[in-house]
Amino acid sequence: MWRRFLKNKMAVIMMAFLATIALAGVFAPILAPNDPYANNILNKFAGFSLQYPLGTDQLGRCILSRMIYGIRPTLFLSLLTMTGTIGLGCILGLLAGYFRGPVEEIIMRAVDVMMSFPSQIMVFAVVALLGVDVRNVILANVLIKWAWYARMIRTNVMKYRDKNFVLFSRCVGSGEPFILFRHLLPSIASEMAVLATLDIGWAILNISTLSFLGLGVQAPIPEWGAMLNEAKNVMTTNPVQMIAPGLAIVIVVAAFNLLGDALRDALDPKEVEV
Amino acid sequence: MKTYIVKRILSAIPLLLMISFLCFVFINMIPSDPAEVALRVRQTPVITEDAILQVREELGLNDPYLIRYLRWVGNCLKLDFGVSYTNPSRTVLGEISRCFPATFILAMSSLVFVIVLSLPVGFFCAVYKDSLFDRIVRGIVFMTTAMPAYWVGLLLIWLVSIRWDLLPTSGSGSIKHLILPSITVALTYISTYIRLIRNNMLENMKEDYVLYANVRGLKQSTILVRHILKNSLHTCIVAIGMSVPQLMAGTIVVENVFAWPGLGKLCIASIFNRDYPVIQTYVLLIGTLFVVFNLLFDIIQSIADPRLRREVS
Repeated sequence: MWRRFLKNKMAVIMMAFLATIALAGVFAPILAPNDPYANNILNKFAGFSLQYPLGTDQLGRCILSRMIYGIRPTLFLSLLTMTGTIGLGCILGLLAGYFRGPVEEIIMRAVDVMMSFPSQIMVFAVVALLGVDVRNVILANVLIKWAWYARMIRTNVMKYRDKNFVLFSRCVGSGEPFILFRHLLPSIASEMAVLATLDIGWAILNISTLSFLGLGVQAPIPEWGAMLNEAKNVMTTNPVQMIAPGLAIVIVVAAFNLLGDALRDALDPKEVEV
Repeated sequence: MKTYIVKRILSAIPLLLMISFLCFVFINMIPSDPAEVALRVRQTPVITEDAILQVREELGLNDPYLIRYLRWVGNCLKLDFGVSYTNPSRTVLGEISRCFPATFILAMSSLVFVIVLSLPVGFFCAVYKDSLFDRIVRGIVFMTTAMPAYWVGLLLIWLVSIRWDLLPTSGSGSIKHLILPSITVALTYISTYIRLIRNNMLENMKEDYVLYANVRGLKQSTILVRHILKNSLHTCIVAIGMSVPQLMAGTIVVENVFAWPGLGKLCIASIFNRDYPVIQTYVLLIGTLFVVFNLLFDIIQSIADPRLRREVS
């Protein structure tokens, strides 16, 4: 699998690109030319210069520095969302697929209800209920998305449950947790990796949208969606301000989507032709 | 056929009950006491413990959960959704019906954009697969899936309204106000449908009946339009129909960008004001629309495509 992955140029390039972005976020204090919070009202809407490579915003803060610091919440929150989603979906999906009967019934009915609701509305409902906060946005995203993973994992587990290696393992007396986590989980891990990579893009879009509406990351913190919200208010005077954060979101989301597609090709060569 | 439709309608009932129950639980999970809120709504000057107890009894808040739920469902069926917390002189029904037409118009006009743009583009992409046109469209489709809708909206406002001064930046009132928001809503969905139609047609092209039509020596254009397109359209029309509630839900963000006075703007304002009855009714409305539209187009599909009926029975 790794060899095929390394042969896929697109996957390697995207992986390297995203790793660079992540590193830039980690080393933001070193890379950023200025303090992202330092405002200087006299120098607002400054154009491109050596000190402010992308200019300054309505409070005279360095846009490039805010962009680099903005990598942190964007990547961190979306990864956190996906970790939570996959964790919850994985546990419930494995349980439902492996232990049939009432456990499966209950979990799958819950999944049906979750999936019959429009996901966007659910996010807003949960945020409305719990209050406006980043933590609640993550929670809302996890709550609406786990059902997809639970269903997919269950289908996959059913596929592998009666395979010979699992039956053999049970014959020689392996415990149920051992079978679940050492046999079934690795069998479905690759497919999940693809899905998760594709969904990180979705999570980034979703979180930035909520921040843009003022329901997620709050104003002074540099986050791309929140930056666009600020840029919206000064659109007539300084339209350049909204270019950089928007482009950044597009590029990162597109990179994750490309990586997901490339991973799928690497893992499952049969599907390439479509 | 009739039994299938009846069965399908009956299967939607538990789903509706679940959705309404979730909405009911939602309003009961909020931190504020409904009795206290009711007193505030009635503008009682001093709220005492006794008054709260009295109102609790009066509103039946001491009854068991299930009875309260049934009473609430009864009220909802009578279209009585209570009054707004922030502005007690307004009923929730009034607020929703004030904002509903705007959102409906926006969703419908973006539906028109979706159909008018995605059908022909998807068709030509499939016909001229891997041509320059197809590759360019695929590139654009890929980019639009990565673009946040609100950013597209902002760019459109800046380019069309501010730079070229062609259309108003925000608000509503005329057809001119409608164009930019509906394009923005449509853009996020067009890419999905272009891909859907393209892949559907490509799949249909591999079918035996196409081979047979070719063997019969029919004209390529006849095969494409009369056979392949007709067969692909079934799925696409159903998919587009089912996405109508999604379009209505999808307007939330765009309405806030363009200050469009619809349900989405009401919803976000209610979230900030903690106006829970409005949010609850909005969620209930969209959830119900989802179930109803799914049901409707499922039935339409089963009427249009006899193969599905056989599979079910």
